Amino acid sequence: MGNAYAGQILRVNLTKGDWKVEELDMDLVRRFIGGRGLGGKILFDEVDPNVDPLGPENKLIFVTGPLTGTGAPTGCRYMVVAKSPLTGAIGYANSGGYLGAELKFAGYDGIIFEGKSEKPVYLSIDDDEIELKPASHLWGKSSTETDELIKAELGDQWRGVDTRVSCIGPAGEKLSRIAAIMTENSAAARTGLAAVMGSKNLKAIAVRGTKGVRLADAESFRAKVAEQVDVFRDHPAYGQFGTMHVYGTAAGMALGNVAGALPTRHFSGGTFEAAEAELDPQLMRETTTVRQKGCFACPIACKRVSKTTAPGFEGHGEGPEFETLCLLGICCGVNNLQAIIKAGFICNEMGLDTISTGVTIACAMELYERGYITDAEAGCKLNFGNAESMVEMTRKIGLREGIGDILAEGAYRTAEKFGHPEVFIGAKKMEMPAHHARGLQGMGLGYATSNRGACHNSAMMSSHEFPAIGTGTVTKGKPQMVKHAQELAAVVDSCGLCLFPTGVLMQEGILLLFNEATGFNFELKELMLAGERIWNQERLFNLKAGFTKADDTVSRRMLEEPLPDGPAEGNVLRLGEMLPEYYQLRGWNEDGIPSAEKLAALGLDHVKSSNKI
Amino acid sequence: MARIKIDYAKCTGCRHCEAACSLSHIEGIVNPKRSRIRVFSKGDAFYPVIAGPFTDAKCTSKVTVTVEGREFDECMLCRASCPIKPVFKEPDSGIPLKCDQCGEPADPQCVKWCASGALTLIEE
Ligand code: SF4
Ligand code: SF4
Ligand code: SF4
Repeated sequence: MGNAYAGQILRVNLTKGDWKVEELDMDLVRRFIGGRGLGGKILFDEVDPNVDPLGPENKLIFVTGPLTGTGAPTGCRYMVVAKSPLTGAIGYANSGGYLGAELKFAGYDGIIFEGKSEKPVYLSIDDDEIELKPASHLWGKSSTETDELIKAELGDQWRGVDTRVSCIGPAGEKLSRIAAIMTENSAAARTGLAAVMGSKNLKAIAVRGTKGVRLADAESFRAKVAEQVDVFRDHPAYGQFGTMHVYGTAAGMALGNVAGALPTRHFSGGTFEAAEAELDPQLMRETTTVRQKGCFACPIACKRVSKTTAPGFEGHGEGPEFETLCLLGICCGVNNLQAIIKAGFICNEMGLDTISTGVTIACAMELYERGYITDAEAGCKLNFGNAESMVEMTRKIGLREGIGDILAEGAYRTAEKFGHPEVFIGAKKMEMPAHHARGLQGMGLGYATSNRGACHNSAMMSSHEFPAIGTGTVTKGKPQMVKHAQELAAVVDSCGLCLFPTGVLMQEGILLLFNEATGFNFELKELMLAGERIWNQERLFNLKAGFTKADDTVSRRMLEEPLPDGPAEGNVLRLGEMLPEYYQLRGWNEDGIPSAEKLAALGLDHVKSSNKI
Repeated sequence: MARIKIDYAKCTGCRHCEAACSLSHIEGIVNPKRSRIRVFSKGDAFYPVIAGPFTDAKCTSKVTVTVEGREFDECMLCRASCPIKPVFKEPDSGIPLKCDQCGEPADPQCVKWCASGALTLIEE
């Protein structure tokens, strides 16, 4: 009988150019599940939190979850974990597409990359056949070129049903701290992990697997998934005629505007005049959308294939997501839909995180408008709303050309470089996503306490908080909601699922799939306890890396300057009202350090002696 | 007789059908490489193809199929499991795979897991 795990971890030493296959520690996955949880645990045990993230001592861990490749709805994810070059904290980012499932089919739950290769290489996995192949000829190539060249080299002519590739583009090679790891236009985007890959001279991994994934209780798993697909099929948001399928994540645009939660002109306001006009999802569907696309085993299919035809912005590729529209668009004050989509295409080709890239450009625009960056330094007019400059900047960042060399370091370092670090908007040096921290108090608390910096997925609060449905500006009860959302997201990320279907599957549905696939027979509270354990494990890494209570915050302007518009007008993020209660609920002392009892309850007190905080 | 109707335009390339087919034909295992339905891609489109009967010779009468202005000059849309095609065969043994409609009466699992409406079961 199977348990949904492949049972093997591949460890590749890039310095020596060799590898070995290790058995998966089943006790460990019972405690940390897989994906983000397992990756974070391996990182904590094996990497000194004080290493240089771009040095050979950092490790780069690709890891799937138990539900990846099982056919569980959206069970497609692989997580990448390493110390982040953007934040200096634990870095993790996941991606959909097909690579995660393929890795499981080849017989591996994950890959740990150690050291640094002397010359550019890529890793090829064909079931048991492993090879590090030269990649000098791929260096400098865009993500889609790399994908095509590797597939041609490995002989996958059979229409993309064979080999899957995950790679970095020029941005990762050039160690941009906002670079993303790409797999067929899906991105493991946040925390700059493509730079870690670049620092190791690892251009790509290519995987072909024919072994499959063995489940514990296949019969009832199959019936359960069929039932769940029935629910998805006709769901108003997630079904075949649902908004997420028809419009993609951009469906949330009007809601974001009505809530005043958009990142307008570098977060100076919360509403945007074009959100319901030029950037309307219906318009996008009529003018640029070619088709919708789904990751492996996804009944939702939120991804878009798009085509742009506007003069100067012609292109073809994937996206945009809601975040891309908001940050390359609204945050830069740009209302030109085709320019935004084009900039998204460039980010995909360069291998850049569209969130961090958008905010970094917007940050530079604010610095420019305040006179802190001159025309000569910018190399162009860099005013808000300048679509041409915004698009040009994505290319320059990817290639580190001109001022792009500075922006490639991310918004915090850009603002610092020009002498005004206070202009930066984010948390733990990571750029803030497209949900305002001032109108949405829980989201703000989530940003402040997220282990990977300003991240909207570490605690999915927006659906609870948009004023149309919930209570964004209220702080009461938020610490408990955020804590729960953080632990649920940790479970989802560790199982190998996408976050989007959580509202349909519910935690009970996830538990059922998990139990039938693994045969672990967990109770709900055991699964959620694993989420809490994972959260605290990440926290321990950060504390050891030197993070303190002072880092559990967001940029001062979110705390001090009232939001000037929208339904949440006049609000600031009232972090002080929530943080002490949050610490208390977490079982942490007033300095945010987990108590001995809490660590014992989570089974985290047996940390290896070398890793004591 | 029951037939599976394929609407290419609706297919999202999610390969949930491949997972379903393998899980219902191999004891407890999900493995698209052993599925009797495979989803090919060309350009921006996805083409689910259901495995038909095995032929022991490669065909000599190759045709070009045009679908909505797109030309397919290879064997992509052919349902046969044949000597030159690397799909619709067991990866280890090379034993050909053929759709059996998941039993008698037809109970196609691929249709059950296809949320987009690209696959439907029709009676004719
Ligand atoms: S909802 Fe979107 S991102 Fe999530 S698995 Fe489906 S297609 Fe991929
Ligand atoms: S399950 Fe349906 S939508 Fe998904 S790949 Fe198969 S035919 Fe296409
Ligand atoms: S009907 Fe059954 S055997 Fe045929 S392709 Fe679908 S799942 Fe496979």
